Amino acid sequence: MKIRRIASRAIVSLVISCLPGGCASVGVEVWERDVLSKPEMQLNHQANNRTIDDHIYFSKEAASGGRGFGGGGCGCN
Amino acid sequence: MAALTAALVGSTVTGATAQSHSETSILIYSEKNRIRATEGNFTLSKQLKNDYTLNLRLTYDGLTGATPTGASPSRYAQTITRASGGKTIAVPAGEHPVDNSFKDTRFAAEAGFSRPLGRLNTATFGAHASSEHDYTSLGINGGIARDFNRRNTTLGLSLSVARDVSKPVGGYHVPFTDIEAEIDDDRETRLERFSGKKRNVYDVILSMTQVLDRQTLLLLNLSLNRASGYLTDPYKIISLVQAPDGGDPGEPVGAIFENRPDSRNKNAVFAELRRHLGRSTAGLQYRYFWDSWGVVAHSVDATLRFDFKQRGAIHPRVRWYHQSEADIYQPFLVQGVPLPAYASSDSRLAAFDAYTLGLTYSVPVRNGSRLNITAEYYAQRGDRSPPEAFGSLLSFDLFPKLDVIMLRLGYERDF
Repeated sequence: MKIRRIASRAIVSLVISCLPGGCASVGVEVWERDVLSKPEMQLNHQANNRTIDDHIYFSKEAASGGRGFGGGGCGCN
Repeated sequence: MAALTAALVGSTVTGATAQSHSETSILIYSEKNRIRATEGNFTLSKQLKNDYTLNLRLTYDGLTGATPTGASPSRYAQTITRASGGKTIAVPAGEHPVDNSFKDTRFAAEAGFSRPLGRLNTATFGAHASSEHDYTSLGINGGIARDFNRRNTTLGLSLSVARDVSKPVGGYHVPFTDIEAEIDDDRETRLERFSGKKRNVYDVILSMTQVLDRQTLLLLNLSLNRASGYLTDPYKIISLVQAPDGGDPGEPVGAIFENRPDSRNKNAVFAELRRHLGRSTAGLQYRYFWDSWGVVAHSVDATLRFDFKQRGAIHPRVRWYHQSEADIYQPFLVQGVPLPAYASSDSRLAAFDAYTLGLTYSVPVRNGSRLNITAEYYAQRGDRSPPEAFGSLLSFDLFPKLDVIMLRLGYERDF
């Protein structure tokens, strides 16, 4: 229970602290995004593979969600 | 649905040029001695004018093979009535009872649309529909993301609502009833048994994408999911075994249909770190999951991409997953002992570890198009002899281990 509270609060606090101003010192300028703009640095890189894997895990394991929506859409045997 | 959400939260901070993209793939999935599936996928992400984006995903799969019924193995040959009615299953002595007549096809379609709202916001809307012969799902979703801190931070909020209907083959069975029990065949009972059982599913995802430096990107998600309605698996049964002081302790004497609670809350904290390392790119994902059925799960997924410039790239991948047992998990029930409020012998609710080893080779075939070849091995290993086992149950592996080989071939195109 404790880990859950800490983990959820850590995410919410990080998100709140990154509202305007909080995370201003972290990051790069527009002209420094050459590496970040590469296809392999995108969070949806290999999206098809990851979506197929997520569906298999959704139907074979008790846990789901996290990266995307967690449920629905499959009877799954 | 996962792909569309990821696209929403990650699209702005990296400064990547928006480009139309499509992928067609085929998956061959094979479980050792169990299910085999073939799945075709088509995904499209089309850039429209004014930075509008249309996302589309179509999936068709066919499954055949054997699936565990949930019943216990026995020292003797067993004959079990199928949950879906009709024929019986002959189970050799010492083997896990499986229903080997499993056959299903699924068609799923998802569509999403995203558009800028002002200079710093992106809004998305989407819908999905999927249909199996015994299960349908319809849902809508929407989200909003906003950039902060010179576009180094994106905060997103996504919501989804889905309505699922389960229409089990052979009709719905009253939980915990004997699988051999005679069912009244009057009109009213048939209407009730074949009318379909409903389930509502709600999702909320709060996400943050943060550029850490020129080579590093971090994604953090908090996801909350609530399902309410019919959550029982209509095809799963639980063996009633003879008590420790019985004539043949641990031997199955009958079976009943399982029974799950009618609501479940699932929560997850997810983190993904991506870092560019010269000619390679590393990705590390971690998820901590907990739900209202008492399951706690951890998963760690690591990928590395090695770039061979003109000759493509390889992506080795390793995933480790562990889950604890759900409160309702009972590998068997003991004859004469009062029934618990809920019980399921579905091994997916047992404690187990799972491992994935994978390798993708991505090779350019023409300017802007690639062929992706993926091979993956997935295994589940659980407690072969749980502490509650006794009598003849001690001589069997009570966790039906799972070994899966997956092969995927995909053709990807930027345009």
